[in-house]
Amino acid sequence: MDFFDNLALGLSVAFTPNNLLWCFVGVTLGTFIGVLPGIGSLTAISLLLPVTFHLDATSAIVMLAGVFYGSTYGGSTAAILLNLPGTPSTAVTALDGYPMAREGRAGVALFMTTVASFVGGSIGILVMMFFSPMIVSAALQFGPAEYFAMMVLGLVAASTISSGSPVKGIAMVVLGVMLGVVGSDIETGTPRFTFGIPHLYDGISLVAIAMGLFGVSEVIISIKMIKRGHIEHKNITLRSMIPTRDDVRRSWMPMLRGSSIGSFFGALPGTGGVIASFMAYAVEKKVAKEPERFGKGAIEGIMAPETANNAADQTAFIPTLTLGIPGNVVMALMLGALMIHGIVPGPQLMVKNPDLFWGLIMSFWIGNLMLLVLNIPLIGVWIRVLMIPYHMLYPAVLMFICIGVYSINNSYVDVIAVMVFGGVGYVMRMLDFQPAPLLLGFVLGPLMEENLRRALLISRGDFMVFLERPISGTIVVLTAMLLLLALWGARPKRRGKTLLQDT
Amino acid sequence: MSHRVDYRDIIAGALLIVLGLFAGFYATANYNLGTLRHMGPGMFPSWLGFMLAGLGFFVLVPALFRAGTLPKPDIRQFIAVLAGTLIFALTINVLGMVPAIFLLTIASVLADDKLGVVGTLVLCVVLSVLAVLIFRVGLEIPLYPFIWPF
Repeated sequence: MDFFDNLALGLSVAFTPNNLLWCFVGVTLGTFIGVLPGIGSLTAISLLLPVTFHLDATSAIVMLAGVFYGSTYGGSTAAILLNLPGTPSTAVTALDGYPMAREGRAGVALFMTTVASFVGGSIGILVMMFFSPMIVSAALQFGPAEYFAMMVLGLVAASTISSGSPVKGIAMVVLGVMLGVVGSDIETGTPRFTFGIPHLYDGISLVAIAMGLFGVSEVIISIKMIKRGHIEHKNITLRSMIPTRDDVRRSWMPMLRGSSIGSFFGALPGTGGVIASFMAYAVEKKVAKEPERFGKGAIEGIMAPETANNAADQTAFIPTLTLGIPGNVVMALMLGALMIHGIVPGPQLMVKNPDLFWGLIMSFWIGNLMLLVLNIPLIGVWIRVLMIPYHMLYPAVLMFICIGVYSINNSYVDVIAVMVFGGVGYVMRMLDFQPAPLLLGFVLGPLMEENLRRALLISRGDFMVFLERPISGTIVVLTAMLLLLALWGARPKRRGKTLLQDT
Repeated sequence: MSHRVDYRDIIAGALLIVLGLFAGFYATANYNLGTLRHMGPGMFPSWLGFMLAGLGFFVLVPALFRAGTLPKPDIRQFIAVLAGTLIFALTINVLGMVPAIFLLTIASVLADDKLGVVGTLVLCVVLSVLAVLIFRVGLEIPLYPFIWPF
């Protein structure tokens, strides 16, 4: 009974006081950040990367994961009460959530989205528990050619599916991989692109890039953009949260459909909670008997996307932890955090660090239960949080960035690096370059080069190795199809602004 | 502002081309390329560089044939935030954490008109207390709240 041994191991890891504490810190911060429009889980996780230097690997990843799925719980609060999504993947929830609030049913909407989040999260975790071991056992047969092909597929998917211009997305990936090259070459020790600067010999720090691109430049943009709405429902009583029998009856099927859609899109590279929630909403509208109710406070319209985005949050960990291929930029940061602790991502992770893998999964259960408590009885607290104005918040964000990055090595040079990437990030946004593919490329770059070199060494310099091996060949063909599709889609006229921003 | 050609993508593409060609030639000239079988440290980066330049070409050329807008940058926010970060970096080793936070907060508040003098000072104090509590007391990281340089 290997499976149950693993569960027991996971529970024993997740229930240590330390990990419980960090799980709680993670989900609380996640809810806090999710509630606030303008700060997403990406910024929050970038901000928290320095803290993980002071923790052990399991606690660090448990906390970061908690921030990630916690923010999706919190995001619906702003969507319902303010008609502003707290996180991008809760944007659709506003479509029917806000009308419900205007009808005076804010309490019901908040309660039901939390239930939906919990159901979605639970189904996502179950999917992860059952599929991960299978994927790992298949992936253990992979050679360097398969890895390289898969990383290329992941990067192409992430840069072309959800960002505006596929050419610019791919350019950002390439730039990211190039930034990953900076530092000493692993095989020969030759310093590359260091220009004699000693700080660059160990490579550019992930923390500096993440904080600069997703912290500092995000703040610069948001100062002028974010406005606070008016909240009509300051007091949500527990009594007002009780759904009617009709609400419950209508919610079952949307939750099941939503979690299937979410689990599927979460695990695919390049997609995730945002696409999953849009799809789930579209499907509900399609199968509904009275589609005209949607947009006017239909409970199905909040249940399906909220289960979908939470299920997607959990299944996004499948490719990340079993293959070492992050499907989106948040997962890339998670991998980065693991690599900081010297853990090499890939199928070996589950074999070599079962405590980390199963401990994390079990912490998901605990975290989701904690979120249930945080989001139902304590909803009043979060509504107060929603009223913190952004002009008092962004200096705090900057303070955390500066002290956080300084605390890693007590080095002011690291703070300057963050500033430089903040400036670069802002210029990039002005030129409509998305920073997310850059970071993905940066994290995967060194692994790609290593596997490419190894694959070519084994094949004696023959590129056909990528096509001849069946799995790698299939992946290469898929990648080519995806590229053609993306370029074809971009060809007629100009594709509009990105509807689906990266999570 | 709307223009006859898409200046934004022209600039974007040109930057990619310059950066890519520089990296490509720099890697080719300075690092051993090796062979396909035994790739040297220069092979992968030089490919990346030329690939980036090629992508830049595909961003630049179509932009010459379509109208576009150039976004207006938020200069004030840009300078205030980056200056605050820089001041923090330059003062933390000299003055300590609390003065550095005060300077950072004051500089960054200048990006926006919404917070008055009193509000700024209150925010400075609140953030300093938070920072000491979280980093010093909570995470037990040895950061000095004050350093007396004299």
